[in-house]
This record gives sequence, C-alpha cells and structure tokens, in this order.
Amino acid sequence: MTATMLRIPAHLAAAAADLAPRGTAWTQAGEHAVPLAPTPLEAQPSAYVRTAWAARSYGTLPSVAVAAAVAGGALHVRLRWAAPSPRTGITDNNVYADACALLFPADGREAVLATMGDDRSPVEAWHWRAGTSLPFVLTARGAGTSERRPHHDLTADAAWDHGEWAVVFRRSLTAAGVPLRTGDLPFGIAIWQGANEERAGLASHTPAWLALEVPRLEGKA
Amino acid sequence: MTATAPGRQLAMVFDLNKCLGCQSCTVACKTLWTDAPGMEAMWWNIVNTMPGRGTPRDAFSHGGGYSDGEPVPGRFPSLAEYGEAWSFDHAATFEAQGERIPLHPTGRDGAPPEWGPNWDEDLGGGTYPNSYYFYLQQVCANCSRPACLEACPRDSLYRREEDGIILVDEERCHGYRFCAEACPYKRIYFNPVRAVAQKCIGCYPRLEAGVAPACVRQCPGRARHIDYMENRQGHPYQLVHEWKVALPLRADFGTEPNVFYIPPLSPPAFNERGEFDEANPRVPTEYLRELFGPGVDAALATIQQERETVASGGQSALMDMLISREWNDLLGPFTENPAGLDRPPAR
Repeated sequence: MTATMLRIPAHLAAAAADLAPRGTAWTQAGEHAVPLAPTPLEAQPSAYVRTAWAARSYGTLPSVAVAAAVAGGALHVRLRWAAPSPRTGITDNNVYADACALLFPADGREAVLATMGDDRSPVEAWHWRAGTSLPFVLTARGAGTSERRPHHDLTADAAWDHGEWAVVFRRSLTAAGVPLRTGDLPFGIAIWQGANEERAGLASHTPAWLALEVPRLEGKA
Repeated sequence: MTATAPGRQLAMVFDLNKCLGCQSCTVACKTLWTDAPGMEAMWWNIVNTMPGRGTPRDAFSHGGGYSDGEPVPGRFPSLAEYGEAWSFDHAATFEAQGERIPLHPTGRDGAPPEWGPNWDEDLGGGTYPNSYYFYLQQVCANCSRPACLEACPRDSLYRREEDGIILVDEERCHGYRFCAEACPYKRIYFNPVRAVAQKCIGCYPRLEAGVAPACVRQCPGRARHIDYMENRQGHPYQLVHEWKVALPLRADFGTEPNVFYIPPLSPPAFNERGEFDEANPRVPTEYLRELFGPGVDAALATIQQERETVASGGQSALMDMLISREWNDLLGPFTENPAGLDRPPAR
C-alpha cells in the first residue's frame, strides 16, 4: 500500500500558528498539488445514477492543493481548489452544495479506497459541506453505506474568495476516530462540485491512497 | 436496490366524477404532517385542475420512471416550480387606516410569485361552448416498482412489509435527491432545513390505529376509496380488477402505481350548429387516454352503461360502490374514528 504513495509531509508548527483557511502559517507548511480523477461510474450502487450520469461529465476538477500541519496537539489539513461558480449552501431543491472530504482507513492501515472500504476494513471520512457549521465524520463499509458518527471532535473552517475554496479540517491527535500516529498515514481526498450537481459517489477523487507524514512531537514517543 | 413485494399492498381509488376541487384533503394533510420548519412549501396531497400544468409546473415532463424497464433520467424541479411558501404583509393590509391595500403574496425574492400549487385553477381546456375541466388529486402512489426507492444509492427509502407504503429513513438519507429526480410524478419533496427527502407517509400511524388517512377521511365528496388490494371484496380490487373502471395515472411511466382513478364522464360536446354531438364527450377522450391509458374508453363505457341502468330504475353494484351511501364503506378496514383514540400530546 505504500510503495507508490504520494507523500504529503505535515509541518510541525507553533501552537499559536495562524492555520485559518487563509492563515499565514500555511506558507511554511508547504503545499502539494494532488491530481484528481472522476470516481468510477460503474461503482455507483444505483442503476438510476449510472444511467442518468452515463452521458454527463463529472469529477472534472484536475487537482487540489493540499497542505498539512501539526500544531497545538492537533492535525490541521487544508484543501484548496478552484471553484469559479461556488455553491455555498443548499438554497433550492436542485442546488447542491460544494463539499470535500478526507478519507482514511478507519484503523489507520488497511482499507480499499475505491469501494469506500468493506465489512472488514471500513473507511473513515471527514466530510465538509458548504453551508453547514460542523463537518461530518462518517464510517463507510462500502459504497452507499456511510453512517454519520453522532459525536466527534472534528472541526472545519472554510473560506471562498478569488474563485477558490480553502477548507481546513482540524482534529486532536488523540481524539477518538482514525488513529493519527507518527509516521505515514494513508489518506484520500474527494471534492464535490455543487455547480455540476455532484453528490454521493459522483466526485473528483484521488484514485489511490496518499501518505500523510505525521511528524514526531518533541518529547513524545 | 430493487423493491421486494410487500405482504399486502395498500391501494386507493380516487373518483374524478366526485372530486369537488375543494382541497379539504390537501389542507387535512398539510395541517397534520407538514407544518414543521423546512416543510412550508410541501403539499404531500395536491389537487390540480386539469387540463393544467400541474404541481410542480409541467408536472409530468420532468423525466423519471422507466422506459423498457430501464431508469429514465429525471430532474428535480425548483421550489419556484413547485410553488414556494409565499409571504403576506398582513400588517400593511389590516393597518391601512382607510387606504385600500390588497393582500399580495410575495416569493422568497420579494417579488410577486409567478407560479404556485394548482396555479392554473379553473382555467381548464377547450373553447366555449366546449370548455371543460376536472380535478386530479395526487398523493404518493406507493408504486410497486418505486423509482424513488431504486434510485437511492444509500437505500434510504424502504417499503413497509405490512402495507407497501414507501417511507424515507431520514437517519440514512443524506439529501442527494436522486429519489426526487427519479419519481415521474414528482411526489418527493426536499426539506432544506434538515437536508433530507420527505414524502407522503400514507398516514401510516393512523392506519395502524385503524383510521383512514386524513386525505381520505376528510373528503366531503366521498371521492376516495381505500383498502388492501388483496381484499377481493374491497373497493380498490373491485373497481380496478373486476369492473376495470379505475385506472392508474400515466402507467407509461412504468412504476406500477397503487393509486387509481375513475375517469371523468362529461356531457356531449356541442357541434358547430350548437347541437349535442353525441359521439364526442366534452372532455376529449384522447386527453384522458394520455393520462389513464387505452383502458379509459372501456372504463367510461362501463360507467355510462351502469349509470343508465340506474337511471332506468335498475340496480348497479358499481354505482352503489361509487356512491357509497354508507360512508364507512369507502374506508375498507380503516373505519376507526380518530376522535375516540388516545392522542399523544401536541408538539
């Protein structure tokens, strides 16, 4: 699982570092362009979705800029992507909000990303949707099976300007959920472009796991 | 996911010859089920004047359903197309102090609305003296091949084993709205506050207490019949399968709905000399075929024949059933009076 993984090092920042979506500390963290591809249509569990989207393009966002930092005992991950026609919330029956997610093997080691996990090896998703104040934490055991966790410590902040979204996920290294251990943490990314009515399994995503390098904290094993 | 057949199937028959267009059914449903935040613009039951564009606007033109067994892509009309929950400046009207300020509705954008539920009320069709209209009631038809249920990638909709009613599991629903796209009748709504799909629930808590759905029980025209289709003595079975006078709406959508309609009879049209044209009814049969399929000719002929039997002093079991002099005869096994039941505290 690690042989060809694109590595994103998480920068060890000061606790007071400005890691807001447009914060100054992201410059030091360094940013990496990660290529994206459409999720496979044949993997969609609904025949209606497969039929309705057979002739429609989706998942066309070419890349997302990723940066990560560890500060104040928490992991911060920023996703930044072009959104010239943002959908900042669900304002009508047929309006779909922009969204993004970070995906992890729930146990931190093994899971199949393409199918959103399976019964034995679930995937955990940190999901932000424009217009909502709190992100969702979901556990998926296959496509269409995700369930929201009622209690979690994940937070997210987002900003849209100059035609792009910047979304920062933030979670304590020791909180319940996917273990954020020192070393390589497999993760994936999905982006939904609301202007193109993308939702559910229709998204731009990383077809394979990336590696998030979580740094060793001073004085910690 | 495909829907498994339930143990028994609730069915309803709406008699278009008896509907008054009074919207009592609509209001009964609205006050009972859709008064929570995010449900302001929901009309799980709606009555539209036909020929008309329906609710939502151009109701049957948004796709969905099946063609040759394959899903047909659909779209989910906007709130404006369904009809928003309008605002009214009551204070301006009632505190006008002598000035005449009519009560005008405004939409979300503050402008006068350009569409709403049953917007083309009583416009009807045809040209004088052959003008005509009738009322078409709609609820979720709890289809035997429910496109909504099959479209959901999360299996958030399910079909009750005990009566075939299709419900949304709002805990599972993530608000993707493929169900609303796939329903060809556009009977799925979206709650923007909770970001979930919501729909007619068939008044299942009432059914479980032996009470007919609110829309059925509140109908002053006694236009609605209800029973399980498996009850061969029940009105739906008799009207659909024995007399063959109750027909599904737009069966060509392929979803096998479980709401059926007695098509409207009408007087003869006038010819150009102002005489009755006995060969052509005022409501064009071709239009009724579009709505109710090719069986409408035989259904209308049967109803007409049975009417004439009664008019000439004979007996007709069909007419007795359609008239239902005993109100409870319409209600199948759901004759319990809700006033006599223990009620949960008001919300």
